[in-house]
Amino acid sequence: RIAAKIQMDHQQSDVAERDAIVDDLRRHLSAPFGPQSSDADDGDGGRAPSTSSAHSGRSSIPLPVAAVRVLLGVIRRSRAETMMGLQADLRGAADVMLDFARRGGPVDAEGGRRYLLLNRSNIALSSGCELFLKYVTRASLETPEFTECRSQVLERGTRFAELSTAARDRIARVGSPFVRDGAVVLTHGRSRVVEAVLLRAALVERRRFRVVVLEGRPDAGGAKCAKTYAEAGIPTTVVLDSAMGYVMEGVDLVLVGAEGVVENGGTVNKVGTFALGMVAKELGVPVYVAAESYKFTRLYPLNNRDLPGSGGTEGGTGGCTTLRFADTLSWSASGAGDGDDGGKNDGLGEHVVDLPGSVTIENPPVDFTPAKYITLLFTDLGVLTPSAVSDELIRLYQ
Amino acid sequence: VAQIHPPHYYQRRDDLRSSVMEALQEMMGELEDLHKSINDQAVQHIHAGEIILTYALSKTVELFLKAAAAKKRRFQVIVCEGAPHFGGHAMAKSLAEAGIDTTVIHDAATYAIMARVNKVLLPAHAVLANGGLIAPSGSNMVALAAKQNSVPVVALAGMFKLCPLYPHEGQDTLNDLISPSSVSDYSLMGSPTMCEVDFVNPVHDYIPPQLIDLYVTNIGGFQPSYIY
Repeated sequence: RIAAKIQMDHQQSDVAERDAIVDDLRRHLSAPFGPQSSDADDGDGGRAPSTSSAHSGRSSIPLPVAAVRVLLGVIRRSRAETMMGLQADLRGAADVMLDFARRGGPVDAEGGRRYLLLNRSNIALSSGCELFLKYVTRASLETPEFTECRSQVLERGTRFAELSTAARDRIARVGSPFVRDGAVVLTHGRSRVVEAVLLRAALVERRRFRVVVLEGRPDAGGAKCAKTYAEAGIPTTVVLDSAMGYVMEGVDLVLVGAEGVVENGGTVNKVGTFALGMVAKELGVPVYVAAESYKFTRLYPLNNRDLPGSGGTEGGTGGCTTLRFADTLSWSASGAGDGDDGGKNDGLGEHVVDLPGSVTIENPPVDFTPAKYITLLFTDLGVLTPSAVSDELIRLYQ
Repeated sequence: VAQIHPPHYYQRRDDLRSSVMEALQEMMGELEDLHKSINDQAVQHIHAGEIILTYALSKTVELFLKAAAAKKRRFQVIVCEGAPHFGGHAMAKSLAEAGIDTTVIHDAATYAIMARVNKVLLPAHAVLANGGLIAPSGSNMVALAAKQNSVPVVALAGMFKLCPLYPHEGQDTLNDLISPSSVSDYSLMGSPTMCEVDFVNPVHDYIPPQLIDLYVTNIGGFQPSYIY
């Protein structure tokens, strides 16, 4: 009976720990992020666009940073007395986070499943965890004494958030010379790193260029960052995602971010990047990817189906399967949005296309772009060719 | 006095002079042995019966070809004359004197002859960080013709020619526009019509990395993607 009670205690504390981890992750992901507010979370889930500088705290936090903060919390709560015990706790926590990110939260009141990561892949999450765990292993080998090692790891992890902002600065510095005067830059998806590069080119180096942004269905990511560029005084054009081929002939370079950079130098980024890479290559336009080095991950996908948790179906993914299709042309033609209340969703209902249940909807949040479509990568380790990525990965994980 | 350098600049180092001298000696040794190290690889790249195409005048390429000929390889060389300086003429003369079967063609004939060529050898003015090549003006055309005909392009460059710059300015990277006197005679410039004409006479061409197949340097052969 005592053994059973101990086991139940363990299970309860396991469950409690798991809940704590998930709560932590959610809390960190909705916190504002930036140099002024590293640990404050007033949970406003801030997506407020920045009006002043490129680096003011806004929008969602980089996934790996949130993951590392959760792991720091795990270390603080952990009762392990040895590095091996601590590592086991951390590995368990990483698995919990990934599992939660993949399966989503509990089904909520309306019967919809709350996905933690919505349109973001869990690759960045797993690469962040992997790197941190690797760091912990290395630290434990260098500093055999437990308490000293633990405090070292805690201190390094806390600095990780600041390293992340510094990484973005470094990337902006190496990447902005590629945006020349008179250039037309095409971008896709909403990446803070790309914003840092372009804002630095425009505001600090005072170059004159234009930005063409793909709107970014279904999260309007492109339209959101178009606001940021316009506010910085960069002439911005927004086009439909499907217009990427049409505009490509007038574009001088393509600049995108990445959720993850894989071993062969290919990238995982918002869906549509693969097509963008192909079109750009065909028309002789260089494709530059701006990504921090903690996004380098030890994956080697052979094609798009090979991504972990790929596909946008319910089966196993971080993606959201509810896509709504609306005929926005007929909606604007019907004069909606001109009303006194400036209602944005006025009468949209009748323009939404209702699909029968027999229609499957597939909404992959990310796709994989092979290395051959990528010209150069801008990282905090410098400008790299895709073939350099595997060398750097070996160095990072050594 | 404001300290503008990091603190280690101001520390006393007794072995500093000897370390610097040593490094300089090493660099000088590398430069002196440059052609020898590159030419040691000549037989690996030039095979019997091959037709090699090269562009204008370059000491490195000339010594490379002569080294292969000295090892009793029988091969043919086609030299593009390299307008407007016509360095190809002097190159062909020098190669012929070494007993190599040489042909001079004008630059416009490059594409036509490319289907018969086995390998292209290009000299380097500089190698950029992305693996691109700065070579004499006209080399880009040769590289493009080679790509179209699936002919391997080998660039010969000493390691000192590698530079950490990226081709931000495209064709203008590390380039110069020089006097049109080599293109058009001064006496023709008198007429008002000629004054309306713009003469563009660049010294170099930028060749993107995907057109180069191999860099042969004094420490071995590398792919352009490895130059980083």
